[in-house]
Amino acid sequence: MSRLRTLSALTLGAVLGLAVTAQAGEIKSIAILVPEQGTDYGWNQQGVDAARTVAEKFGLEFLPAEGLGYGDVRPTLRELAEEGASLMIAHASGYNTAAPEIAAETGTPVAIVDRPDDMKAGLVADYTLSGHEGAYLAGIMAAKMTQTGTVGIVVSGEPPSWNSQSAGFALGAKAENPGIDIVYAVIGPAAYADAAGGRRVTESVISAGADIVFGQGNGSSFGMIQAVETTKATNGGKAWFIDVIGDKSELDKGHLLSSVLWDMVPVYSAMVEDIKADTFGSRGYKISLADDSVRLLQTPHIPDDVWADLMKTRDDIVGGSVAIDEITDAQEVRALMTSVEAAE
Amino acid sequence: MAGLFTIDFTTALLFGAVTAGIPLLLAGLGEQISEKAGVLNIGIEGMMLFGAYTGFLVAFKSGSIWLGFLGGAGGGAAVALLMAIFCVWLGMNQIVIGIALTLGAEGLTALLHHFQFSRTYPRLDSIETLPLPLISEIPVLGRALFDHHPLVYLAVLLAFFLVWLFRRTYIGLNLQAAGDKPAALDAAGVDVYVTRTCAVLATGALAGIGGAYLANVGAGLFLPFMTNGAGFIGIVLAMLARGQPLWVLLGATLFGVSLALTTALQVAGLNIPTDVVQMLPFAMVMVVLVLFARHSYLPPALGLPYVRGER
Repeated sequence: MSRLRTLSALTLGAVLGLAVTAQAGEIKSIAILVPEQGTDYGWNQQGVDAARTVAEKFGLEFLPAEGLGYGDVRPTLRELAEEGASLMIAHASGYNTAAPEIAAETGTPVAIVDRPDDMKAGLVADYTLSGHEGAYLAGIMAAKMTQTGTVGIVVSGEPPSWNSQSAGFALGAKAENPGIDIVYAVIGPAAYADAAGGRRVTESVISAGADIVFGQGNGSSFGMIQAVETTKATNGGKAWFIDVIGDKSELDKGHLLSSVLWDMVPVYSAMVEDIKADTFGSRGYKISLADDSVRLLQTPHIPDDVWADLMKTRDDIVGGSVAIDEITDAQEVRALMTSVEAAE
Repeated sequence: MAGLFTIDFTTALLFGAVTAGIPLLLAGLGEQISEKAGVLNIGIEGMMLFGAYTGFLVAFKSGSIWLGFLGGAGGGAAVALLMAIFCVWLGMNQIVIGIALTLGAEGLTALLHHFQFSRTYPRLDSIETLPLPLISEIPVLGRALFDHHPLVYLAVLLAFFLVWLFRRTYIGLNLQAAGDKPAALDAAGVDVYVTRTCAVLATGALAGIGGAYLANVGAGLFLPFMTNGAGFIGIVLAMLARGQPLWVLLGATLFGVSLALTTALQVAGLNIPTDVVQMLPFAMVMVVLVLFARHSYLPPALGLPYVRGER
């Protein structure tokens, strides 16, 4: 009887051990939650497209949840966990409170943005991305190409990712022309979908002298684009727009100068690899010029000599001879901007 | 600071203030009509959003901005019809239905946008304006205040029209009675249900036009969630104005000007937290209306369903 009991215990232990081992590195599906539809030529689309690509690359089931808005996503997270999602990417800064809670509740790993201090081994990883190196190049380009001597930055919020790009743009513009004027305006608190606000504020920034506007806005970017298309610069010339994250070339009516493009495939691939290696939650994820996960969009509006200079600077950054600070604090970002008054 | 306020910049700021204030004015006036009749219309955000969608769709397909506004009025009124059926005729909770309608409109318009516009993001061309003779020639103020789309002037006139309607006509009296003492109105032979239904539909139509203005003139395109809480701000304006249309006009103007001011302060390079600057419009409107609009009142039957024969 005693021998039978020992044998049973050993068998049970072996089965449980195998199950745990299998679970540790197993990933069958990848889910992504985004606040708007994945067709915005920006943050949402890049996220959804990258997650789909990674799912295909690793042979995983793809579970997209799009257009969730900016409210409570706990029910959706629970539902995806119940459906068997092996990894849930909560692709909005507004989700970074709910997602870790549901991860703890369901045991399903989640990836969040803008909360690098909240990482938890096996459960929560952060991917606060920053295209500040690309924005630096965009700033240099804007300073080279402005006809009015003033460039603008319009943002629909001040999350760390955008702050670092605003700072990168300002640093680049000043590196090229220390006397340049930079006007900076936030549309409103979390005005990501406020297209009318984006247009109104961008028109004001153009009227303040900017002929090149670096815009970060999700849906509100379309309002910014509408503004540059319908408003002349103060010198009577054309106003230009530099976008971020996605490529809106096919929607362009001749005012899209460039875009700081993000590719999230390397980031999501690394997450899958980390889950397989049982190291998920032990590190954050970045994008950079070095692996082309950040790059500047080349359009026909950029002169060849300007582009050549930009590529040389890019190589210098990748080679380490030029270093760009990643500034994420909103107050520090504003301190970098030059007001019209201060320039006088 | 003086160097910043060039003619171009100041004009753009004030022009933007008017553009931002008009949707709020229309929503606030619409809400006031409903509240006058005793219906607390929380669904106005959804009516604006649906009006923005239908308004943009019609303007884009027809090429006519006026048909677009008509489409916006129809879209807003369609959502308002649901509000009337559920809240006026079936006596359901006005707050719950209002929230449900807003959420429903958000989901539906996001879905429709996804299928129709999410690959092309069509944008309207610049809208023709109507410069008012002589006064539009005034430096800065002329272009900023008197060179807008005709709907802007109509919206301002609407506030004065409602003052007259509320004070001088039987329609105004009936609306007030429907909100104050619906049983008395019923006893006088006027149908409370019809009166409240008409009020709710008018609210929806005005909110829808406000949404269409936001999409067609303010942004030049439609996006999901683009009203961004404008309907709720309209409710706040109507509540604080307590039955006085001209206070709604003042509140919407203040809000628009404050929004312009927030942009000006930021562009001027003021190094204070943006959140503080962004609070300015809300704080200013609340302070002014709370201080100066205290003598008005809200209808006693506001938010209460009317059931004939029930006391």
